[in-house]
Amino acid sequence: MATLSIKDVRKAYGSVQVLHGVDIELEDGGFLVLLGPSGCGKSTLLNMIAGLDDTSGGDILIGGRSVVDLAPKDRNIAMVFQSYALYPTMSVARNIGFGLERRGVDADKRKRAVEDAARLLQISHLLDRRPANLSGGQRQRVAMGRAIVRDPELFLFDEPLSNLDAKLRVEMRTEIKRLHERLGTSIVYVTHDQIEAMTLGTKVAVMKGGYIQQLADPRTIYERPANMFVASFIGSPAMNFLPGRLVRNADCVRFEASGVSMAMLASNPAEVSERPVVLGIRPEELKVAARDQASVTGMIDVVEPTGPETMVTVQVGERSVTARVPPRFAGQRNEAIFLTVDPVSINLFDPDTEQRIDI
Amino acid sequence: MTSSASRYLPFRALGELSETRYWMYLLLLPSLVLILLVIAYPTLYGMAISFREMRLTRPGLDGWVGFKHYAAMWSDPVFWIALKNTVVWVTAAVVLELALGLLTATALNRDLPGTKIFAVLILLPYFLPNVVAGHMWALLLDPRLGVINDILVRVGVLQTYKAWFADPNAALAATILVEAWHGFPFFALLLLAGLKSIPEDLYKAAAVDGAGVAAQLRLITLPMLKTVIAAAVILRVISLVNSPDLLLILTGGGPGDATQVLSLYAFQTAYKEFNFGYASALSVVMFVILMIFAVAYIRMSRITKE
Repeated sequence: MATLSIKDVRKAYGSVQVLHGVDIELEDGGFLVLLGPSGCGKSTLLNMIAGLDDTSGGDILIGGRSVVDLAPKDRNIAMVFQSYALYPTMSVARNIGFGLERRGVDADKRKRAVEDAARLLQISHLLDRRPANLSGGQRQRVAMGRAIVRDPELFLFDEPLSNLDAKLRVEMRTEIKRLHERLGTSIVYVTHDQIEAMTLGTKVAVMKGGYIQQLADPRTIYERPANMFVASFIGSPAMNFLPGRLVRNADCVRFEASGVSMAMLASNPAEVSERPVVLGIRPEELKVAARDQASVTGMIDVVEPTGPETMVTVQVGERSVTARVPPRFAGQRNEAIFLTVDPVSINLFDPDTEQRIDI
Repeated sequence: MTSSASRYLPFRALGELSETRYWMYLLLLPSLVLILLVIAYPTLYGMAISFREMRLTRPGLDGWVGFKHYAAMWSDPVFWIALKNTVVWVTAAVVLELALGLLTATALNRDLPGTKIFAVLILLPYFLPNVVAGHMWALLLDPRLGVINDILVRVGVLQTYKAWFADPNAALAATILVEAWHGFPFFALLLLAGLKSIPEDLYKAAAVDGAGVAAQLRLITLPMLKTVIAAAVILRVISLVNSPDLLLILTGGGPGDATQVLSLYAFQTAYKEFNFGYASALSVVMFVILMIFAVAYIRMSRITKE
C-alpha cells in the first residue's frame, strides 16, 4: 500500500511530445483509472510508472520514494498485461511464483504464497496446467495471481479485460473491484472503456493527446465534465450538445436555441453576459412532459426499445438529441414530443474553447 | 431455348464436378504427377541402381549385385572419413549459423533506425549462389593473392601467408567458416519472423518479475522460437548434407580426404569415376541417415505436440 505521485511527467520520442507535463496524486489504497482513446498516452504513462519506459522529465514517487532511476523489478510494483503475458513453458504455479523465485524467496514460502493467491482467485485446481491449456478468463486470473502473490505497493493493470468476451469482462470487472476492496492495495488501471473507469475508479484521469483533460472522481467526471471531449467520451449514449445563446431579461438567465427555451440556474444572474454557448444534456435527464411544461420541443425520429429503457432520437431544430425514457414509451415516428430538463443537471460549454462554463 | 440447355457447356460441367469429392483429387493430380516424375521415380531408380553394377567405364559389368556396394562401403576407409567429416561439417556449420542468425535476428528486431537497410544487406550472402560464394571465398583465401592473408599478416596475426585449404587441420575449419557466412542469413530471416511473433508484453512481464537478459532468453525467447528453430535446423541440415558444391569449389574434398563429405564423395564417385552403382549406394545411406535424423530431431524437440 502506498501513495503515488506523478509530478510534471513528460515523454518525448525525438521531437514528438507524447505526454505534456502530467500531474497526478493518488491516495493510499486508491484506484486510479487512466482513461482515453488509443494514442492518448495512457499506456505510455503506465509503462513509465512501471519503469518499462524512461521519463523525459518530471518525477514519479511511489510511497514517497522517487522511482524514476530504479529498474522495474526494484519499484515494488506488479503488473497485469492485456495479453496476460504468461510464460508459455511454465506451469501456472511457477508462473504465479516466478516473481518471488527471482527475488530469492525460498520454495516453501513461495508455495504457500502461490496457494493463497490461487485460492483467492479460485484457480487452485489449475496450478499444474500450462497456460496453453487455459481459457481466456483463467489466464486472466493467473495473470492477476502473479501480481497479487508479490504483495506489491502498487498494482498496474494495462487494459486487462480487453481480450475477454463481454460476459466475462463484466464478471472479471466485479472480481477486480472485490480484490481491490479486499487487498486495499493502490491500483493504476489503464482502459479505454468508460464503464470500467466509472465502476472501478476512485479517481479517473481522462486523457487525450498527451494531456490530462480532467482528473476527478467518477461522479464529478460524469456530472461536471471539464470540457466537451470528456463530456462526450463518458456516457453511452453520449451527452447531447445543443448550440444556442444565453439571454438575460431582468434577473432571469435563459438558454435559447431552435426548439429549446429553458431557464438556467445562475449563482449571480446579474453578472451573466449574453453569449453563444453549447448546452450539454445527458440522455437520461431529458424527461417526457406536457406541452406547457416543455423546455425542449421536437419531432420523434427513431424509437429504440432496449428492454429496461427506450432510446428516443428526437429532431430538435437542426440537431438530433437522444432521450433515455421509460420502457413503455408510446410515441411514434414523426409525432411531436415535449421534454423537460432539470436545470441542475445541465452543463454549459464555450463553443470556441469547448471548456466548461459555470454561471 | 431448350436446345441451348442440352448443349455441352464445359464450364458448367467443371462447376458440377467441383461440388463432388473427386474435385480434390483432380486438383492434386498435376502436382502429384510432377512429384512422381521428378522426385519419386528418380529416387526409386537411384535406390534400384545401388543394388546394381553400373560403371560407364566398364559397360560389360552391368547386372544385379545385391548388397555388394553396401558391403564395400563398410570396409571403405574414405566412406568413414566422409561420414565423420559430414557430421563435423554440418554440426559445426549449423551451430555457428544458428548462433549468428539468432544474434542478427535479435539485433534486427530492435527496430532501430537503419535496421531495414541492414536487414537487406545481411541477407546478401544467402542470395549468392553456392558456386559464386565458393569462388569468391576461394579468391579471398587464396594463398598468394588472398585479401584475408594480407590483412592477417598486416595486423600481425600471421607471420606469413597461409594456404588455408592446403593444411588438413585448417581446411575443414575454413570451409565451415565460409559455409557459416553463407548460411547464417537463412537462420536470421526465419528467427526474425519468429521473434516478431513473440508478444512484447512477455518481456515487460519478465522485466517486472526481475528476469535479466539471460533469463529472458532462456525462459521466453528460446522456448517461443522452438518450433522455428527446429524447422530451420532440419531444413538447413538436409540442405547441407545434400550439397557438395561449396566444398567442391573450395577444396574438392582435399587435401587428401580432409574435407571429404558424403555428398561430395557420392558426386565424385558418380561423375569422376562413373561408378553409378556405388554412388547410388552412398546416396541411399545419406537418405537413411537424414530420415533418421529428421525423425529423431522432431521427436526430441516435441514440436508436433504443440
